[in-house]
Amino acid sequence: MMYYFFLVISIALVITALLSIYFRDLLAAIVSYSVFSLVLTVLYFLLDAPDVAIAEAGIGAALTTCIFVIAIRMTRRREE
Amino acid sequence: MRLLSVVAIVILFGFLFVGILHLHPVGEALGNSEVLQGRPELGIDINGVSTMDDYFLRNGQIETKSNNIVASVVFDYRGFDTLGEATVLFIVVSSISMLFFTFLKSKSIVSAGVPPAGQFPKIESRVITFGSFIMYIMILSFGVYLVVHGHISPGGGFQGGSVMASATALLLISFLITRHMQRTRKIFSFFESLGLTIFIGLGFAGITISFLYNFLAHTSTGFGRIIAFGPNQGYLISAGILPLLSLAVGIEVFFGLSLIVVTLFHVSGVKDTNSLR
Repeated sequence: MMYYFFLVISIALVITALLSIYFRDLLAAIVSYSVFSLVLTVLYFLLDAPDVAIAEAGIGAALTTCIFVIAIRMTRRREE
Repeated sequence: MRLLSVVAIVILFGFLFVGILHLHPVGEALGNSEVLQGRPELGIDINGVSTMDDYFLRNGQIETKSNNIVASVVFDYRGFDTLGEATVLFIVVSSISMLFFTFLKSKSIVSAGVPPAGQFPKIESRVITFGSFIMYIMILSFGVYLVVHGHISPGGGFQGGSVMASATALLLISFLITRHMQRTRKIFSFFESLGLTIFIGLGFAGITISFLYNFLAHTSTGFGRIIAFGPNQGYLISAGILPLLSLAVGIEVFFGLSLIVVTLFHVSGVKDTNSLR
């Protein structure tokens, strides 16, 4: 049971990481990266590392997304 | 060039796999003795367990009086590394301030949607404004809990500080922050410097033995309260200088990361971005 759960989480990690590269709309790429961080948080928590999970949720999912959105607001939304 | 990058990736993955082979199994306290027995150069003692992490697991609670072994490693055994991390964050925040505040000082900041001081914003959705305010209080409370209980439960200065800083980002989204940029910068940079100063001061307080020596943990009352080995309920006042160090790092990380986010938000509100280039 746990094995399949880890398998699903790993596949979701790879898919969200690839999507964040694939999207030409940078806002969608950032949202995908944020989902990547959230899934990684679940993985850290299952691997008995709640410290790292909290840091990943705080910095990876919240603050990095905020800073990237601000950067998009100052530049262009679409990648050429 | 392409061949070189492929070779580099193969070598890096080789290191990764060799490292993974020697990890502890998940949830198992002692080292994998079958693996470690055949590799004496990896640092094993006579019982076939790796010395360093088993030493931390066996003696961390007795030596540092801290229930959280991770916190005892981060702030006590490897306290100098934590000082380095805090200094790196301080330098990053300082350089971002130096880059953008000379620019922001010369412009009159008219951020889109940011209200004058003391007024609530003219925003359509009361749901966003009020809900963000409620969530701000809850996230801030959770961050303070993480910082204060850093030596008992998972968490600590960096984690709690980054959670609190994400609460600041929520304030920016709901436009509840005002345009008093210079005053915000003064308050935030003061508290950030204060956190790092408290950390270094606590390090120098035990300078008679060594820098960052856990001098409070070697009394038997107050912060040096003797705790039982193994699982126990935990005490808020224990673990020597670890809660104080955690508090100092929490203050520094919260105000530093908040200063970064607030600064970038105000810079992005300036209409004429050509002068930034």
